[in-house]
Amino acid sequence: MFLQQLVNGITIGSLYSLVALGLTMVYGIMRVLDIANAGAYVLGAYLGVWGYTHTHSLPVALLAGVIGAALVGYLFQRLIYTPVNRPDDPIVPLIASIGLFIVMEDLFRLIAGPWTLTFPARLPFQRLALGGVIVTGSQLTILATAAVLFLLLWLVLNKTKIGLGWQATAQDTETSMAMGINTRAVLAFAFGMGYAFSAIAGILVAVHHNAVFPTMGDIPSYKMLAIVVLGGLGNPLGAILASMLIGLLEAFVGGYVGSSIPTDALAFMALIVILLVRPQGLFTSGGAAK
Amino acid sequence: MLLKKRFKRGWQKVKKLVLVVATLFVMALLITGCASKGGNQAQTQAKTIKIGFFAPETGSEAADGTSAYNSAKLLIDQVNSSGGINGAQLELVNYDDQLDTKQAVSIAQKLTTKDGVVAVVSGSYSGPTRAAAPIFQQAKIPMIAGYAVHPDIPRTGDYIFQQSFSGVVEGAAAAQVAKDKLNAKNVAILAINNDFGKTLVQGFQQQAAKLGLKVQDPNWFNFGDTEFTPVLTKIKDSGADVVFVPAYAAEGSQIIRRIHDLGLKIQPLGTEGLDSTTQFLEVAGQYADGLVIVTNLNRDSDQQVVKDYVKAYKDKYGHDPDMVGASTYDGLYVVINAIKKNGATPDQIRNGIAATKNFQAVTGVIQGYDAINQVIKPVQVQQVKNGVFKYFAEITDPAIITPPTK
Amino acid sequence: MNYWMVLLTTVGIWVLLALSLNIITGETGQPNIGHAAFFGIGAYAAAVAGTRYGVSFWGALVIAMLASAAIGGLLGLVSIRLRNDFLAITTIGLNFVVVAVFQTVPYFGGAMGIGGIKPPQLGGLSFGPLEFAIVSWVLVGLVVLLSYHLQRAWFGYALRAIRDDEAAVEAMGINVRRYKVLAFIIGAALAGLAGCVYAHFMTFISSTDFSFNVSVTILSMVVLGGRGSVLGVLLGGVLLGIAPEVFRFISNFRLLVFGGILVLVMRFSPSGLLGQGSWLRERFARLRGADLHGG
Repeated sequence: MFLQQLVNGITIGSLYSLVALGLTMVYGIMRVLDIANAGAYVLGAYLGVWGYTHTHSLPVALLAGVIGAALVGYLFQRLIYTPVNRPDDPIVPLIASIGLFIVMEDLFRLIAGPWTLTFPARLPFQRLALGGVIVTGSQLTILATAAVLFLLLWLVLNKTKIGLGWQATAQDTETSMAMGINTRAVLAFAFGMGYAFSAIAGILVAVHHNAVFPTMGDIPSYKMLAIVVLGGLGNPLGAILASMLIGLLEAFVGGYVGSSIPTDALAFMALIVILLVRPQGLFTSGGAAK
Repeated sequence: MLLKKRFKRGWQKVKKLVLVVATLFVMALLITGCASKGGNQAQTQAKTIKIGFFAPETGSEAADGTSAYNSAKLLIDQVNSSGGINGAQLELVNYDDQLDTKQAVSIAQKLTTKDGVVAVVSGSYSGPTRAAAPIFQQAKIPMIAGYAVHPDIPRTGDYIFQQSFSGVVEGAAAAQVAKDKLNAKNVAILAINNDFGKTLVQGFQQQAAKLGLKVQDPNWFNFGDTEFTPVLTKIKDSGADVVFVPAYAAEGSQIIRRIHDLGLKIQPLGTEGLDSTTQFLEVAGQYADGLVIVTNLNRDSDQQVVKDYVKAYKDKYGHDPDMVGASTYDGLYVVINAIKKNGATPDQIRNGIAATKNFQAVTGVIQGYDAINQVIKPVQVQQVKNGVFKYFAEITDPAIITPPTK
Repeated sequence: MNYWMVLLTTVGIWVLLALSLNIITGETGQPNIGHAAFFGIGAYAAAVAGTRYGVSFWGALVIAMLASAAIGGLLGLVSIRLRNDFLAITTIGLNFVVVAVFQTVPYFGGAMGIGGIKPPQLGGLSFGPLEFAIVSWVLVGLVVLLSYHLQRAWFGYALRAIRDDEAAVEAMGINVRRYKVLAFIIGAALAGLAGCVYAHFMTFISSTDFSFNVSVTILSMVVLGGRGSVLGVLLGGVLLGIAPEVFRFISNFRLLVFGGILVLVMRFSPSGLLGQGSWLRERFARLRGADLHGG
């Protein structure tokens, strides 16, 4: 049971980490608490279903979700977030992002209907049974995708000019601007990439659950904020570790303690306890200092 | 002198405030006044009987709300196109409560004092229904709850009816099925933590105690939860042979999928919450095969009313109806039957509903309503075979299907 | 008639909540996106006091305020250690934890909620919609006066100075922390007051009445109206409070409109309708300037 719950927890954590990374990309560069990022998660799922029903190919579905979400992320950044963003006042962009999220959710309902759509994609992996531990096909898919994307993100952030630009801007916006980093390009990159990551997570969840519905982003929209704060806001590695921590916490509490504690409150309970002990978050990023 | 000046400044502020508030209310009055005029015009046309309706048609539970509204609208159209009731046309005065109790209260006030409805059907969840019920009771306008199960709803007063089973009845029926039909020895429970789950678990535990059936402590989850692998891993290790799942379609379909994923050798036993083709069966896919549920809709029924409803709904909306829709449809069906039999004033309708006996509705034969207006009807047991719900058994034992009145 | 009274009461409760949040977020600039937690604590404290211990409405008012103020004070103490965006998320967290507690602890009715809350009595008169409307708007009046008083008193100056430049205030020797905590205590207490009225008005409550969505709505009222402007927040509360009823004729698009309004106002008038530097306020100032010249 312990090993099984470990696998369960890491899978949940991997899913969380993809959305959390999306949020971190955006936060790291703009200090925006972007609730609408969860809208990209739903958008990805819907575009994925659309792509899949037309082509019956999972890669095409992923591509449709990624491109669509990245585009929306870029547009949001240009049209809304950059104009409303103010240093040290998180409320204005936050309310704007809540508004965007509500608009997105309601548009999905109006366009695709309130009922659940199915996403019966065939998975590239079979169920594995190792001893008593079972790793299902969708769990393997999630783990593999997450691993590939972590690696990709690491490469992009450390080996490409724009990725290094993101890191520099996340550390210190003014200095990097002064040093001639193209902030506009970096912003577009961060939002595009951030929304694309969420879209992939949305598609994986949609396949895992065989379900796409307008309000599927509700829980990620706020739970991810807790995870991202735990991870030190704007620190990709911290976001991954915090996601794993919450995933494991949920798995073990669900498996051993069970009943009484609502899973969704768990992330926030962990957050509040940790912030009481370490007001700067579990992991800090250099850029997080005021 | 200084004090006077300060007072004057304060007074100016208050004056400005009063002015702004007054303007706002006048504006609001104008806007709502204009909006409600449309309704009044309809009243001047011929003779219409107005029936109030509310459901969460937008927001987080829009799927259920829309199902409920679609079904009610379907019945109204059916009745009107066949000539209405004694020449009078029916009008559904529809409101969206967005699953918000505050809105439900304003809606109830509007229905009772402005819209002039003679009866009301709730197509909403327990929260809004329960908040609205006292207002209908006070106005002496009968309300029937389509599928809201909170036990306090019928206890509001003699004008409030519950069309869905008491959760306790459904839970008890499930326990009976577990023991008699599924030969359960050791039952695990995985239930949603709200009034629906709570009352069903209570009924299940009580009946299981009577039957000497071993039941483990319930595992609770919350509305909107999606990850069930951890808790199912726990259930797997508990040695249970049947898992009782009072859940709704979204969570229930994931539970069924994960049971399969984990290779659990366990018989799932669901409830009416899973009784949906689009929301449940299609999502759970082939893994739903073998699942047994207790519900009120027998899709295999050869009764014309059931066949007609299922077909008409699908023709009109392009997908299969679900339990929420069927129950709401029946709530309205009972009201319309009472109008036909007893007359169309609120009191006549109330008495007409209370006098309903052995009435064949979509969700089974309504034997009648008990002293506190809870429905008494047999519980249907269905099993999924090749992706469709099929007749499995029916529970008619009065000891089980008579709801507690305390 | 009753319909209007019910609407007035509902809007009154919303306005109370918006004004109470304004003291925390508008005056001191501390982002609080979990204000429904205090609303809920007040409502549950009042409901438990009433149904379990037979406390009257008037007694429950005091209990509700004290309970919310206590938790508000605790959060205030935490808040002074946190950066603004961390605080924002911590308040969301508080909202979820509080709802989870109401949802699971049997003492608070658990998932079934608390019903049977008796309407208030005053000299043999049992409260109906009219009385509730009067009480809620009398409370609104009192809270408006209190808000103006807080703004005028040097306490208010200090609070707004905190919002605008914390470091400078610190340098001037005003104890910033004390005011931040105090703002949380007062704001929370007033939300608790609204909760008590709400619980007695609805006669039953359940945890979902105080969910994160409610916090978002309250914050939207404050931001839309104009943070720090009492009149603006009042306006925001009335407008958004009445919106679900006014927009009924486009029932299917109400959420879309609400979300759209939030985006557009933040994009084009981020200080709200009547906040500092907003378009309307500038217009008013100009008009008044013209008047002066004319006179």
